[in-house]
Amino acid sequence: MNIDRRKFFKLGAVAGGTAVCSVATPVLARDEREPDPNWYGMLNDSTRCIGCKACQAACKTENKLPSEATLGDDKVFGTPIYDSPRELSENTYTLIKMHQDAESQETTFVKEQCMHCIDPACQSACIVGALKKQSNGAVEYDADLCMGCRYCMVACPFSVPQFEWHKAIPSIKKCTLCSESRLKKGEPTACATACPAGAITFGKRETLLKVARKRIEDHPGTYLEHIYGEKEVGGTNVLYLTKPKVQFAGLGLPDVKFKAVSGLTESIQHRIFQYFIPPIAVYSILGGIMSYNQRRKKNAGQTGGDDEY
Amino acid sequence: MSIKAAPLHQKFITTNFWILIFFMLSGAGFAYFRFFEGFGSVTNLNKAYPFGIWIAFDVACGVALAAGGFTTAAIVEIFGREKYHALVRPAILTAFIGYFLVGFAVFFDLGKYYNIWHALVYWNGTSVLFEVAWCVMLYLTVLGIENLPNVVEQFKGKVKLPGRLASFNTQVDWMLGKADWFCRKTMSFFVIAGVVLSFGHQSSLGTMMLIAPYKLHDLWYTPLSPLLFLTSAVSVGIPMVIFEGTLATKFFGRKPETELLGSFAKYVPLFLGTYLLLRLGDLAYRGVLAQAFDGSVQGNSFLLELALFTIPYFMFKQKSVRQSGSKLFLCALSVICAVILNRFNVFLIGMDMGPNWNYFPSVGEFAITFAFLALGVMMYKIGVNYLPIMEEEH
Repeated sequence: MNIDRRKFFKLGAVAGGTAVCSVATPVLARDEREPDPNWYGMLNDSTRCIGCKACQAACKTENKLPSEATLGDDKVFGTPIYDSPRELSENTYTLIKMHQDAESQETTFVKEQCMHCIDPACQSACIVGALKKQSNGAVEYDADLCMGCRYCMVACPFSVPQFEWHKAIPSIKKCTLCSESRLKKGEPTACATACPAGAITFGKRETLLKVARKRIEDHPGTYLEHIYGEKEVGGTNVLYLTKPKVQFAGLGLPDVKFKAVSGLTESIQHRIFQYFIPPIAVYSILGGIMSYNQRRKKNAGQTGGDDEY
Repeated sequence: MSIKAAPLHQKFITTNFWILIFFMLSGAGFAYFRFFEGFGSVTNLNKAYPFGIWIAFDVACGVALAAGGFTTAAIVEIFGREKYHALVRPAILTAFIGYFLVGFAVFFDLGKYYNIWHALVYWNGTSVLFEVAWCVMLYLTVLGIENLPNVVEQFKGKVKLPGRLASFNTQVDWMLGKADWFCRKTMSFFVIAGVVLSFGHQSSLGTMMLIAPYKLHDLWYTPLSPLLFLTSAVSVGIPMVIFEGTLATKFFGRKPETELLGSFAKYVPLFLGTYLLLRLGDLAYRGVLAQAFDGSVQGNSFLLELALFTIPYFMFKQKSVRQSGSKLFLCALSVICAVILNRFNVFLIGMDMGPNWNYFPSVGEFAITFAFLALGVMMYKIGVNYLPIMEEEH
């Protein structure tokens, strides 16, 4: 066999490159995950919310979270802010925010908390599987498993997971859907129980979707004809309704596509690990090139390499 | 190999030694607060920027810049370019130090650092980090084995432990003999494994931020990201060898190796060209190039990154550049800066994690990063001084 060395190098490079490309190019998005009929969730009706923050207080009591002072914020930001605290934090799992629509000047109160996604990005991202979708629908966090890498915070499209920046041994903190403390006893979530305006409805996701559709049907002038969370990022267990003139994006709910955000990374990962074929292929190609060069060197009886490539 | 590598055996405690100690101590001071008072006391990390300079620089750039190890090993050992044999040992040593520092930086960055071993036990195959963690760990082991022959060569047959430990001389020597036998039998296997593992995690680092399509800027959010990370890492391999080689000759007062390094540099345009072709092709295909000129911080940062990649591509092609030590060094530096900026763009500058939040590393974060760098330089200093890393001057 007399392949010129230069040609062989190029051949090897092309073959290796192709193998790597096959690893890196994305494939068809993986299957969509279907919601379980037994999953619980909440329906947040922003048209009904009166902004009393009773849910916030109930959440703090339920999870034994300290209060957060936002006094003096008006000096920092120029104007007093209704939202207190300003954003979700390690001590605030749920938060009422006030939004004013730029066009219609309509004021809406919106509740923020973990969306308990059907296909959670945090679960896909977590290196040790500390965040897991439970059979009751809650996305739960296991502090003993967690390494504290904070990749879940990057992954979450709603930026829900929070980190204890001021603790020596920090954990991730977020809404639990009261999974351990209340759902197990058959009670609804603390925030839903506390709401005096009927803005938070607790129940099975399937039922909530029916309730939401019925509300839109019965009061066509009151609602925008869309249930946020039915399909967004693959669907969430917490659903939202809004007024006809107020878009969801105006309520701080990001304008996201219907597919889960982890689809791309997972399909790339899946390709790399699929029966270990790509790594083994690259390994064999490189091994072939190496043994070819070594044999060639032996035959030539000299160790000096040549100059060209 | 006609010329043998040998330890430098120079005076170890110099002014530079004390400078390195100073940086390491100041980092250690801040590290106390990081571990006992929480991140908030040292870092500027916040809810919108959970990843800071420790991930963007120490981990992402650290891994990319340690690529000199596997590219040099591949070119010399696999593709049989024996001419550059003198560059392999320093490159493998720096790669080992680089990955050691990456692991160390991760340890600092993890909130529950004592759970770092969970990555080995609790598997979540869907996580990109899972793949990165395994590859980095295995590759660090491989690099350790690849560096073993240096230790064996230096100490086999002449183990002289101080004081009471002297009674273990025979046992240690026996172990070195075994290690020697093991290395001789299996080195080819580990050399290739090192390259494959590098391919794996270099590309996976590019996959990492793809989980945040609504946060990462369009200029960097591309399904091709893993391949771009891999090709840019390969491109920066030789420039890193040039960079370190030039600095090492300067600081250890050795004769410059411009001829060898310049000859080695001729592979760079091949790799850089591949990278640039993929990068620009991808941007054009996705039709987002216009965003580079919108005057935003991200757009400008991208343009700078591209310029730092493109200029050395043309420069390295010229013989006059490859023959001049200082021009060679500057071109290598340009590629290194380009890769560093690229990793910063992906992990920090291109990430929009929500309004109202900004991030700029704090003094403490810088101090700890500099401490890592100082530790790396110190380890290199120890390595070349006491182990046969550098070939004798010719």
